[in-house]
Parts: sequence; C-alpha cells; structure tokens
Amino acid sequence: MATERIKSEITGTVWKILLAEGDAIQVESELMILESMKMEIPVESAVSGRIQSILVAPGDAVDEDQDLAIIEID
Amino acid sequence: MKAAVLREQNKPMEIEEVQISKPGPREVLVRPIAAGVCHSDLHFLDGSYPYMLPTILGHESAGVVEEVGKDVTYVKKGDHVITCLSAFCGHCNKCLTGHLSLCQSPEVSRAPEVESRLSIGGETVHQFLNLSSFAELMLIHEHALVKVREDMPMDRAALIGCSTTTGVGAVFHTAGVEPGSIVAVIGCGGVGLAAINGAAIAGASMVIAVDMVDSKLELAKAVGATHTINARSGNAVGEVLELTKGGCDYTFEAIGLKATAEQAFQMLCSGGTATIIGMIPVGTMVELHGVDFLMEKKIQGSNMGSNRFRIDMPRFVDFYLSGKLHLDQMISKHIKLADVNTALNALKSGEEARHVIMFDQ
Repeated sequence: MATERIKSEITGTVWKILLAEGDAIQVESELMILESMKMEIPVESAVSGRIQSILVAPGDAVDEDQDLAIIEID
Repeated sequence: MKAAVLREQNKPMEIEEVQISKPGPREVLVRPIAAGVCHSDLHFLDGSYPYMLPTILGHESAGVVEEVGKDVTYVKKGDHVITCLSAFCGHCNKCLTGHLSLCQSPEVSRAPEVESRLSIGGETVHQFLNLSSFAELMLIHEHALVKVREDMPMDRAALIGCSTTTGVGAVFHTAGVEPGSIVAVIGCGGVGLAAINGAAIAGASMVIAVDMVDSKLELAKAVGATHTINARSGNAVGEVLELTKGGCDYTFEAIGLKATAEQAFQMLCSGGTATIIGMIPVGTMVELHGVDFLMEKKIQGSNMGSNRFRIDMPRFVDFYLSGKLHLDQMISKHIKLADVNTALNALKSGEEARHVIMFDQ
C-alpha cells in the first residue's frame, strides 16, 4: 500500500495530537498542533487514508522537514 | 463578550458572542481600550502563515486591568497596560540570557488538557499568539503585559504593543545601529516607519526610505527619513548604492518578501548588516551571492525587535511623550470592532498606515 509521510514545515514543539494511529484521515484534516514562537500551527494531511503511525509525542521538539506521521493512502 | 472570530481563511471575520474563562493564578483579565490592526494579522487571515481555527486575531493593544489571578502581584485592577505577544516564562535559557522575545516555553499558554481561555458554546477558540485582541476582553498571562503611565493615550500605546517595538527594537537591539550610520529601510508600513523613526533616534546620518507608495514615503520623511526612493523605478538597489556611494551600514526589510530580503543584502556596504523584520511566507527560500560573505556582509532575522518589552515599552512611551517617537502620524483612522474586516482590506491595498479599533468604554 502506498504511504505518505507528513512532515513539519517549521521548527517547534508538538503541543497536541488530535488523532490516533489507525484513525481515518481526510485531505486537509488536522492531525496535530505544533507550537512555534507562541503560534499554534496546525499540521494537515495532504492525502486521505488511515494513520499508519505517529512518530512524535506531545512535548517533543521537532525540526523543519522532520517526519511526523505516516499515512496509508486510500 | 463580543469578538471578531475567524473561522475560515480568506473569509471575513464575524462578530460573535465568545465566552472567556476566569483568570488562573498567574493570569490577568484586560479590557482593551484600543487595538491596532496590523499587517501581520493579514498573514494569518490569508493563510500565508497557518494557524488553528477558529481564532480571534489581533495582537497589538492597550487597555485597563479588569481582574487579576490570585498569584499576580505585578498589576492590579485599574492599571493601564500594553500587551505583548512576547510572553516570557522568565526561567528558560533564552530568558535567562536576556533573549526574552525568543522564549519558546509553552507555560504562558494554558495546557491542552485545561479549559481553554476562549470558547463558543463549549467549542475551543484558539487564542492568537496568547493575546487575541480583536475582542472586548483579553485573558492573558501576567508576563504578556507591561504597566505604563496613565497620561499615555491608549491608541498610541496600542501601537507600541507591536509595530513600534518591532521596528524600533530591530534598530536598537537586533542591529545595534550606531550614531552616524547609513541606514535603508525597505517597506514603509507601520513597522518600517517605526524602524525609520528608530534609526533617526539612534543618530543615523542618512536614513533612506524605500517604498512603492508616494504617500508612505511622505510619512517616512515626517518620522525621520532623510531620503526616499520610490521602488517603482525598478532599481532601488542601484539608487541606494549610488546615493550612499557604496552601500549601507544597516538595512532593514519590513515587508516579508524574498525579493526585498535579497535587495536588503544587496544594498549593504562591506561589513554591513541586513536585518529581516518582515514575515516571509513559510517554505520560501532566500538566495544570496556567496562571494558577498567575503566582504563580511551579514544577514539576520529579527523577531519582535529582540525586545525586553517590560523595559522597552515604558521607554517608548517616554519617547512619544517627549516628542522623539512619532506615533500620531501612524494612525490613519479610528474604527469600531465591527469594521475590522474593512481595516484589513485597506491594509491589503498598501495605501494606508494603520487603523486602530477603539472599544466602547
């Protein structure tokens, strides 16, 4: 099955994860919220499918371009 | 309370009834008197910077303390305050080394598992930059405000909450402009004009304002520019290099574009420093000629003027009241909260300086 990696566009911290592994996700659905320079930044999925794995946890520091999750594409 | 709620990017905000939580131990309830409508709000409205929705924009305000949490000793009910998005924790590495505006600690926000500060019928409304000032009340951390003297007009004080601190701070703190320096500022919106004013206060010998709107270049002269260049000519870099006979000691980019950031670097003399204040959209790359680094040219970012706002903002108030800081010209119109969409549309046109929302008292 084809997969898509969701990457962080910005350096920051994982503030809240909104979905869980195994959940269905739609294009432009919010998967998690990052905090960077006091901004709450949504991380959206570019594809529809099912969340295969979430690679970070709340409180984790993340770098720009870091993989955050893997989606199995419908 | 009423607030302008953004539910979808590129759609008008609607005035809605919003519930606001009670102050936690270190929180302060502020009744804003004035709130500036800033170009940065536009970046989040148009999606060039993503943000969680729904939210209430606005991050440049002044008001009066309404209520304080049980552990707050810094302010009391009735104090006049300016709010600031550079809320600092006070004990992280950045704070303890004097870089309060770079504090990343989440503790000035409410934790995700706690009741949100703002909500509508149980739905979380995401607080914008820990402030959300397009609202009749603000519930903020005590480290997101500073007390100011009561003879300071609130509409002028609101501007100090972001644009003044960002522009003047970039000159004083981020770049450290010395008297006699040659300075150019690209972009004459609220922040750029503040940088021009700051360069004049710092004693720059030449302050060159660059913009594409003649009315803004006139404003630039009123706040301290010694020379102006209309970039519609298409050769702003060449004109600056000719005018300065070799380039600037300091340049400031106050728009947030790749092209103008690169121009700010190209306008430098050897050893000069370009400071990028504008918010360049996420994902945009900036390209520079590597050989220029042999000339010790430098480029750096500036976030909120590298401020220590509890020290800076009262000083800026004094600068205004003593005639050094020109805030009167920065305000093009006073409006009501209901007119906030019109004010943001006016900012898109680039023709006007700044609208300030005045709340009913």
